[in-house]
Parts: sequence; C-alpha cells; structure tokens
Amino acid sequence: MKKKKRILIVEDEKNLCLLYREELEKEGYKVIAVTNAQKALDLIKKSHFDLIITDIRMPVKDGLELIEDIMGIRKDIPVIINTAYQSYRHDFMTWAAEAYLIKSASLDELKAKIKELIG
Amino acid sequence: MIERYHPFRHQFPQSGSKELQIFSILAQSFFQPFSLKDNLLVILTALTAGSGLGFNRAMLFLVDGNELKGEFWLGPASAEEAASLWQILSNHEIGYSEIIDYNRRLLMDENNPLVQKIRQMSFPLYAAEPSLPALAASSREIIHVKDAFNEPLVDRQFLEIINVDEFLCIPLLSLDEIFGEIILDNAITRQPIKVQDIELASLCGLAAGNYIYVTRLQQRVMEMKKQAALGEMAMFVTHQLRNPLVIIGGFVDQLLSSDIDEKRKMRNLKIIKEEILRLEQIMDRLTRFFRIEIKEKVPVNLMEIFKITMDNIKPFIKSKKIIIESEIEPGLVYVLSDPVYLGEALRNLVENSLEALQDKGVIRLRAFRENNDWIVISVEDNGQGIPEALKERIFEAFTSTKEKGLGLGLAYVKRFMEANGGHIKVESQEGEGTIIKLYFKAR
Repeated sequence: MKKKKRILIVEDEKNLCLLYREELEKEGYKVIAVTNAQKALDLIKKSHFDLIITDIRMPVKDGLELIEDIMGIRKDIPVIINTAYQSYRHDFMTWAAEAYLIKSASLDELKAKIKELIG
Repeated sequence: MIERYHPFRHQFPQSGSKELQIFSILAQSFFQPFSLKDNLLVILTALTAGSGLGFNRAMLFLVDGNELKGEFWLGPASAEEAASLWQILSNHEIGYSEIIDYNRRLLMDENNPLVQKIRQMSFPLYAAEPSLPALAASSREIIHVKDAFNEPLVDRQFLEIINVDEFLCIPLLSLDEIFGEIILDNAITRQPIKVQDIELASLCGLAAGNYIYVTRLQQRVMEMKKQAALGEMAMFVTHQLRNPLVIIGGFVDQLLSSDIDEKRKMRNLKIIKEEILRLEQIMDRLTRFFRIEIKEKVPVNLMEIFKITMDNIKPFIKSKKIIIESEIEPGLVYVLSDPVYLGEALRNLVENSLEALQDKGVIRLRAFRENNDWIVISVEDNGQGIPEALKERIFEAFTSTKEKGLGLGLAYVKRFMEANGGHIKVESQEGEGTIIKLYFKAR
C-alpha cells in the first residue's frame, strides 16, 4: 500500500483542528493538528511532513514567524496559509508560502489546493 | 544662566508695536483650543482693535461651494459704540479667552445690526464678470477700493450694506485653495487706508489662510485615522465571526452526508451549539463595548465592590498558591462612578492579573488617595508583566495576544474611565508584575 502523505495543521481553534483533521483524513491523508506555532516547530524538527497548513494570527507566535522559522529548517515543505484575514493577501507574494486561502465553510478549495500541491 | 519662557502666552504682549501685537495673536491662534471660527474671529478682532492703528471694521466671508458667504462682521455699529468697544479691547489685562467670550456674546446678539446684515450676503465666486467683493477672492488679489460709489466693479447691494467709500479686500488663500475673504474699512474714523495698513493686513491674510489650511488638513488627517481604526476593527470583527461560522458550516456538511453515525451526529450538534453561543457572546461583548455611557455617577462603596470582585474571581483560581487580597486607605469609603461598569472593569483587570500569574503569586486590589484631586483604585499583580513591545498597544481595541478574547478588555476599561471623567495608568515591568491604576475625581 502507498504510504500516506503527512499534513501538519497549525490552528489555534480546537474545533477547527478537529474539522480539518477529519475532513482531510477522509481524503486519505495522515493529519496532525497542533494549536500553536511552537508545537509545530518542535514537530517539524523531529519528523517529516509533506505539507503545512497554518493560520496567521495566533497566540505565542504568529503564522508568519512560523513560516520564517520553517524556512530555516526545511525549505522544501510547501505551506498553505489558511486564515480569516483577507487583508494580508496582498503582501503574501513576498512570503514563502505556496497559497493563501480565506477560511470558508466549504473545504473544497482547501482540498483542491492540497491535491494540486502534494497529490 | 538661562531664562525660560512658555511659548504660548495667555495675555497679549503689553509692549511693542501694533504689528507685533497682531502677529502675536496670529501666531497664538494655531495653538488655541478653540474652534476655527473662534480663532478667525480673534484675528479679525486683532485687525480692528484700537482706534488709531488698526481698521475700524472687519468682515469675514468664507467659501461655501461656489459662493462667498458672509460669516462675521466685527466692529462698532456707531461712533459711540466704538468708543466703549475700543476701551474694552485696549485693556492690557484682556487675554485670548476674554476676547472669544466677548465675540461670542456679540454674535449671539440677534439685534446686532452688523451680524444680521452679513449673514444675508453671498456672492458667486466664478461669475463671468465677478464684482467686488468676490473678485478679490476669485482673482487671488488684494484689492483696495477708493471712491467706491463711483466704481462700477463694486456690487451695488454690497455697497448699500457696507456704505463706505473706501475699503480693502484681502483674499484668504493657500497655494491651491481659496478659503474666503476679509473686508476692512474705517467707517467710523474715516481715516484713509495707508500703504502700511495694506501691508499689515495682507500679511494677516496670508497667515489666516495658512491657519485655515492647516486646520482643514488636521481635520482630514483625523478623519483618515478614524477610518483606519474602523477598518482595523471591521477586519478583526470579521475574523472573530468567521471562525465560528467556518466550524458550524463544516460540521453541518458532515451532518448532511449519508455516512455519519449517531454518535458523531450528537457530537457535531454539540459543537455547533457551542459555536453559536460563542457568536452570541461576541455580539454581546461588542455591543457592550460600543455602548458605554454613564448617565449618573453614584457613590460606589469600595469595600462592597472589592468583595464582589474577589468573590467572582475565586471560583476561577485553580492554584492554592494564588492569593487575592484588598486594602482600602482608612477614611476612604467610596468613589463616584457607575457600579455596573466599575464592577465589569475590575473583573476585567483581575482576570488579566490572574492570567499573568499563571500558577502562583498575589493579586492586590487597593484604594487610596493619590492627592486632593484624585482617588485611585489599583489592581496589582506580581505576574509576568507586559512585554515592552506591547505596552503602547494594550489600550487599543481589538489587540489581543490571548488564546481567547476579543482584545476588548483594557480598551473597555479605558473607555469606561474616560466616560467616568477619569483616566487609567499602567506600570509594568516584564517578569516583575503589573499595576493598573484607575483615577477617579475626588469631588
């Protein structure tokens, strides 16, 4: 059997973590969800991920700092920013993220983007 | 040796030439806390004050759309009135606010014939062949009119009202805008307008134009700041509302799919309910934040409000190593405030302290007299303190570093304190603790 692709979700809302995990597992991915950027960094240092999905505004460390830190460790992991904030979108090109999605009640866009990036 | 002077004077200079006095008034008008119109009135007063030097009367027109509209007409209506007015204004003790008071009273007077006449006047600025007074503003020129009754460029209706054969028109301008026009005359003393008078008046016109320009610019900047704050707020509220909505939508989708079991169904419904409650809470907190209004201040008993605050927080204190205590200066019984808002403010502060302590430390509620004017209620803790980088922003609404919360806590307390006629101060050292002081007027 083909090995499952691993996705790390960084999201401070617990119920959102749960929703994303369940929905993406249905799509055949292995999903790990953490509620802050520090926990995410610790995990990235220890194990392999094929994709990271992160929010921007989070306590302790925000998503942008996280992306910077990730670049310092593993440059090759694609990152999707998934946030409720529209307004950061125009600066997004300067960041090393592959996609910028606005959180939506429909997960179709997110699922399609993941498929496009990691299959 | 050094000598120090305050740059803004409350009294006009008592020595020096008329020119110096006028410029002192003009320069000060930039720094006065009065409205634009009040300050313009003072400039007109400066131009007309005194019998021998300035002008007798001054009219102010302001641009309103495509028209020049009459605003003020300052000066005595007759020779007798002139004598008493100049007497008042030549008093050396008189300062800026006295003149403003005097002028306001003058303009409020419905019977004042000059005020009645000027308010009826308006002239098109961009007519094909503009007449005076509009001509000076539209051509951006200073115009000195002599023998007015035989001058065809002078508007006849205007001439009838001003009823003088010599006057001076000074446009109020910036580089790219026309704001209005000042008309000066010597209707009482009948002295001819001299070259020096024209020079002085034109400089005043320039300064007044600049003053209007800067004031309008300031208003625009304030408006933009407000808009920006509003934008920031809208963004934050959208974000706060979007998360619960996404969660509700996602779990509803699962409910709608055919392969969901009963256990999952119940769990999803529970989550949906939680999120709906959260939405309601967000709306409540926003409503309360925007609606702070203190209609009447009553004596709020300090001992009681401290007790309520402490009783309310105790169930949330999970660690035995956290102590909460209170201290009231002997003789101090109450502060004047609104008990509901004050209770809410204290609850906010104590909750912040509790969060800053993590699992051990002391929260202290204190009330004391800072001096004769102010009574202070302080909430102190020896928790982690506020990081230096955050200090400037802690009172801004919608700035939060916490896992939960709208970032309205301290902004709410600040709004409440301002509505209460007091203020708030923060002293905090990272790693050592925080003191928040609420200042209440002692009387």
